Amino acid sequence: MMKDISIGRYYQGDSILHRLDPRVKIVLCFLYMVVVFMMSSVAGILATFIVVAFLCLLSSIPIGRILESVRPIVFLLLFVFVLNILTNRTGNPVLAWGIFKITDNGLLTAGLMALRLFLLIVSTSILLTLTTTPLLMADSLESLFGPLKRIHVPVHEMAMMMSIALRFVPTLVEETDKIMKAQASRGAEYDTGNVFARAKGYVSVLVPLFVSAFKRAEELAIAMDARCYRGGEGRTKLHVLHMQGKDYILLISLSGLAIMLIIIDFYVKIR
Amino acid sequence: MDDKNTVFPAETEIIREDLHDASHDVIPDAVSKEIQDIILENVEFSYLHPETGSIAALSGVSLSIARGTHTALLGRNGSGKSTLAKLVNVLEMPQSGAVLVMGRDTRDDAAFWSIRRSCGMVFQNPDNQIVGTTVEEDVAFGPENLGVPSAEIRIRVDEALAYVGLSDLAKRQPSQLSGGQKQKLAIAGILAMQPHILLLDESTSMLDPVSRDEFLAVVDRLVREKNMTVLHITHDMAEACLADRVYVLNHGRLAMGGTPGEIFSQVKKVRELGLDVPVFAELAYEVAARLGLAMERQTLFSRASALDGIRKMLKSVSAGTLRPMNAAACPVSAVQEGRTVLEVSHLSHSYDKKSEPSLSDVSFSVNEGEIFAIIGHSGSGKTTLISHLNGLLRPKEGEITIYPKEGAASLNTRKNTDVRLIRRTVGLLFQYPEYQLFEETVEKDIGFGPSKMGLSADEIKTRVLESIVLVGLDETFLKRSPFELSGGQKRRVAFAGVLAMDPDILVLDEPAAGLDPTGRREILSYAEKLKKRGKTIILVSHNMDESARYADRILVLKHGTVCALMTPQELFADPAKIRELGLCAPETVACLTELQKDYPSVNSCYFRVGDAADELIRAASNASANPGAGDTITSRGGAI
Repeated sequence: MMKDISIGRYYQGDSILHRLDPRVKIVLCFLYMVVVFMMSSVAGILATFIVVAFLCLLSSIPIGRILESVRPIVFLLLFVFVLNILTNRTGNPVLAWGIFKITDNGLLTAGLMALRLFLLIVSTSILLTLTTTPLLMADSLESLFGPLKRIHVPVHEMAMMMSIALRFVPTLVEETDKIMKAQASRGAEYDTGNVFARAKGYVSVLVPLFVSAFKRAEELAIAMDARCYRGGEGRTKLHVLHMQGKDYILLISLSGLAIMLIIIDFYVKIR
Repeated sequence: MDDKNTVFPAETEIIREDLHDASHDVIPDAVSKEIQDIILENVEFSYLHPETGSIAALSGVSLSIARGTHTALLGRNGSGKSTLAKLVNVLEMPQSGAVLVMGRDTRDDAAFWSIRRSCGMVFQNPDNQIVGTTVEEDVAFGPENLGVPSAEIRIRVDEALAYVGLSDLAKRQPSQLSGGQKQKLAIAGILAMQPHILLLDESTSMLDPVSRDEFLAVVDRLVREKNMTVLHITHDMAEACLADRVYVLNHGRLAMGGTPGEIFSQVKKVRELGLDVPVFAELAYEVAARLGLAMERQTLFSRASALDGIRKMLKSVSAGTLRPMNAAACPVSAVQEGRTVLEVSHLSHSYDKKSEPSLSDVSFSVNEGEIFAIIGHSGSGKTTLISHLNGLLRPKEGEITIYPKEGAASLNTRKNTDVRLIRRTVGLLFQYPEYQLFEETVEKDIGFGPSKMGLSADEIKTRVLESIVLVGLDETFLKRSPFELSGGQKRRVAFAGVLAMDPDILVLDEPAAGLDPTGRREILSYAEKLKKRGKTIILVSHNMDESARYADRILVLKHGTVCALMTPQELFADPAKIRELGLCAPETVACLTELQKDYPSVNSCYFRVGDAADELIRAASNASANPGAGDTITSRGGAI
């Protein structure tokens, strides 16, 4: 039912990647993004593909679940592929029809481009969204951006807002469903009737939803006040992020892999 | 954790020095019973209102609450109860007078954090006080704010969760908990801060009876085991009886104060204040009134003691002193033999294939002009069932047929595509309907339904006016914004919004939930009024007393199946059956059943207190008239 709605696409598990310090995962995620974009040779992309496949193995998440995260961008992948084929007119023609000309170079760059996007999505999913809970992500962002507090960036407040927002997503989803049903009982229309009737139908849901969200925010603020909340200074945490030996090892070895990929690509290119 | 004055050694390392205040830890336990944890001295408090200026919430209130006691605070909605709790927790400060918590003045800046830290507060709405994304994160929130070291937080979280019985759910998301579990989570979150005072602001009002009892059991343990001081704001008179002391607020003034027995023996005064007395106290009062006897004050704090009082009074009844009472037989309620207006047959439903079905093979029919109650615990499928009745959910398996008036064609919610016709015939009022108000004025909001039915402007106006009068408001409300009304008024406007559509069948989901006793009675009286106008009412409730009193027939739903469908008299006549269905008997039935031991001829099927009192006196006078007939008074020592 509505109550079981999960936020994000976290896949419950206990693999090495699941247990890796989320801050390491965020850093690695950025590193691999850069690597994927730097790859310009076939060999480089293929090597990256092998490394990402290795990461998938490490995460021990079923392959179907990983591919699911690519599904939303399948259309984009195809679009990029076709566009690249049609616009690249260098190299030997493979097929020509009227003004359309498909060349071997075109096919190659199109394939590389599509594979690059694919690897980008898979590596971020594996390293972050599938193996890290949203809450941990908020926590680690707070910790990573902690130094910014010195220049008065409200890092703690932003992380707190993020985690409260996550906390209230299911509550508000449930509430929306309830209000929609109540208004439908009074004749509100959401997908029938003319434009005005539909607009009115949505107004009848949005107004109560906002009123209630504000009321909730007010009550929550009082409840937080009553539990002695007063900002981030001097606040301790139940779960403190601690870098352990294995976190350092993984950080160094996976960064090493990334650098190796860059070197391979560079080497192949100059040859 | 057993000794509340134990300080964790780690506490000395707390970074926030001002929070770490030892002043409340030095009071020796031996005298703790005499220590007044909360003292209000002539407190005045008013809120600023943008239009009408300041509104007095509390005026001249003085009271004191001793350590380790359980105090109930009663009063109608808007009588200043919540304000009082907020003054104790320093969420507000008095404009004049003084509030002393643990011996320290709340206006003293130096005491601010130490007071707030020693007061835990559980609010009404379970959802709006949970901060954490998981159960354990939420419990940790308070200690985290206090700057308690992580290892120490871990210990406190585990202990607090174990205390309220939520250890298994530590990693869950709050949205996966039930209402009762959420309130227990709120208590755990407070326990982890190791407070001395627990403030409950209508914390039980949104819970079903089972979770409510569990919640109250935890509170009771806190008072007994941890010597916690509890201030419990409630609308439930039976809950107030659990307290050591009761205070009643009325328009911001302290109207009454005393033990539950002292308060509830003054039935008239309590009623004047817009409150109720517990059913057992009312029964004793009614019996005393009928016999012209004075009531003993101290006897009315529990069912057992009230029954003892009643036994004593009944002993004085003799056949000669009383005229024979009317109606000996069980009152057979006039079962409506009207035509069928709604028929559900073999309805099954599940939200997804994996989970258990929320409804399986439900069949029943509702007759015209009856009040048809549906009772069942949370999760029994009540909401799913009523969502089917007006086509919000279409049956996937089974049929629902509606037979509108005037010989119109019957509507099958599965086959009939015109859902508007169905919703015009069956009006549905969800729980807490005040959340569905959205228009700028009350008039437009009530008129929303009718306007969707394509009625003329004049017709809409007539209907709006008619329905607002029906719910006890008048036309002066029409031009006001629904958002500036009080909670009870909003509820009535939402009610009127459904009435204005003039449905033949009206489905009411817990229409009185969260209201004070007077509000409850009024809302339910509208249901009776509508019945007299020939409407059919389907009443969803988990309040046995009310269902028994108002309903013609009761359907008991359990795990999505129909367990019983009968008149309240049939249902509650058999204690074994009630237990078997996992229900609790209405309070009058419980009292009468208890007294059956003394007077076997007592019939337990009376749901109105007056009728029950009549029945008792009838049985007692019968017994003294024919002592040989088996109605001898048996031992009184056998009382609970």
